[in-house]
Amino acid sequence: MTGLTGSAGCFDAILPYIVTILLISSIYAIFALGLNLEWGFTGLLNFGHVAFFAIGAYTTVLLDLWGCPLVLSIIAGVALAGFFGFLLGIPTLRLRADYLAIVTIGFSEVLRFILLNEEWLTRGPFGVYGFERPFQDVIPYQYYNTFLLILYVAILVAIYASLERLMHSPWGRVLKSIREDESVPSALGKNVFWYKIQSLMLGSAIAGLAGALLAFYLQYVSPATFKPIETFHAWIIIILGGTASNRGTIVGALILWTFFSGTKFISRLVPLESHQMGAFRMIVIGLLLMLLMMYKPEGIFGKKEELALSD
Amino acid sequence: MQLIINGLVIGSIIALTAIGLSMIYKTLNFVNFAHGDFVAFAAYIALLTNVALGMNLAVAFAVAILATVALGVVVEKLVWMPMRRKNATQTTLIIISIGLALVLRNILIFVWGGDTQSYNIPVRRGFDFFGAVITPNQILVIVTAFFLMFLLHHLLSRTKIGKAMRALSDNVDLARISGIDTDRVILRTWVIGLGLAAAGGVLYGLVTAIRPSMGWFLLLPMFAAVILGGIGNPYGTIAGGMVIGLSQELSTAVLPTEYKFAVSFIVMTIVLLIKPEGIFGWVR
Repeated sequence: MTGLTGSAGCFDAILPYIVTILLISSIYAIFALGLNLEWGFTGLLNFGHVAFFAIGAYTTVLLDLWGCPLVLSIIAGVALAGFFGFLLGIPTLRLRADYLAIVTIGFSEVLRFILLNEEWLTRGPFGVYGFERPFQDVIPYQYYNTFLLILYVAILVAIYASLERLMHSPWGRVLKSIREDESVPSALGKNVFWYKIQSLMLGSAIAGLAGALLAFYLQYVSPATFKPIETFHAWIIIILGGTASNRGTIVGALILWTFFSGTKFISRLVPLESHQMGAFRMIVIGLLLMLLMMYKPEGIFGKKEELALSD
Repeated sequence: MQLIINGLVIGSIIALTAIGLSMIYKTLNFVNFAHGDFVAFAAYIALLTNVALGMNLAVAFAVAILATVALGVVVEKLVWMPMRRKNATQTTLIIISIGLALVLRNILIFVWGGDTQSYNIPVRRGFDFFGAVITPNQILVIVTAFFLMFLLHHLLSRTKIGKAMRALSDNVDLARISGIDTDRVILRTWVIGLGLAAAGGVLYGLVTAIRPSMGWFLLLPMFAAVILGGIGNPYGTIAGGMVIGLSQELSTAVLPTEYKFAVSFIVMTIVLLIKPEGIFGWVR
């Protein structure tokens, strides 16, 4: 008997922990699905994906604090993220693939400086908290994370299903053909530039939604939440799971966050200082990115023929 | 005046470090996101030689350049050359370079921590120069940078290897047909490009705090210089670096200093919009 209650107690202790991992994985899965649309399906190199994450999160919580209804705040955050995707696409998407990479990574850093310094708008380094969370008055506090998890998984499934449908639509086929060889769709009279802009806008809007979801989960956003490394978390998720595989992206997110929670346990056993542990994690991420691209670029679930092989 | 001096100092560092980025960009046809972290690596090796081993800064300068070049050669042999053999695409190489950037920067954080540090050199008073102050370190940076750029000019225009490098960055296939050993020339392009970047990194450590992210924050100004100057054009890159350095410093007259970094971003975006092939394409 005691063994039974013991294991039940253990289960109770571990359950919130599992809920947390699943919650953060679902947020990052949505975030990475946006990038997968851009990179996996269209071949766009976006190295500043975190900027749209931040725009979605900050817009939502600030509008909410200023008294805007929650649903409208979220919609505004998503729309603004998409709009900035449009703005960044204009100077870059007619040019070589690497210009988008440079401009987006630059944008994400400039945005972080703005978030840090324009205290009248963003409260600077202290961040924003005290905003409303969805249905917070209805759901008892101890069940709130479970509620969020159900909500987020539902949103994830909805986005996954719509992306799958989109990718099998004529629109999605044009995106894939752009990834393979731009000159083919443009010879067929498709406006390649405009398709790329649409892909970047939609991907950024999805990142914006993920940003709002992250803010509700954390109950707090600050410039430090949106460091450039978040972009590369999304990259790792996609490449782990397999480029151009939406299902792989979701699995990739689960693997990454399970690994991260695992390293937190290990960190109690190894005699490393906290900055060293953080650096070590990043070294692993960087090496993983290099090795996967060098030896297994199609990832775990990816199909080799779905790989962007043309410039 | 003070802003112009500061601008020239930072401009010559950006120019010096960006030359390698530009040459590699053109020759290997990919943008190396790890370039800035090689710059920071050099500053840390100089710091190690100067502070931990107690050597003077001139020795540290040489050691840093050698170590950075050696690291670059190892990476070329282990990563870039095998990937060229596999005919890897430009996007694959870019993603690998950003992974390499993360690895290098976090090795610096792992070993030395994230705090700012500085060389162990005597602090000397600056001279009065037309109402502005210029420090001996700043003079040293400008003089060394221009000397190295002059050496580069000599190398590119007068020596056989320099001509082969220019030929290769002009047209890889033509260079190969005319009997140039491309792998060897590419290796030398890395050596010279990273050597200049390392020199720039050590000099940068003289005028700013040494921290692991110093190369990362130099990356955007370097890209801006490369794009302004036209990819693969070393003289254009030098001009571009000067323009970026000066406009960054002059911007502080009207903008908060925190936004220095944004200036290169804005300049770069405008250039991409109006003249993506670069402004200084005619500087040859």
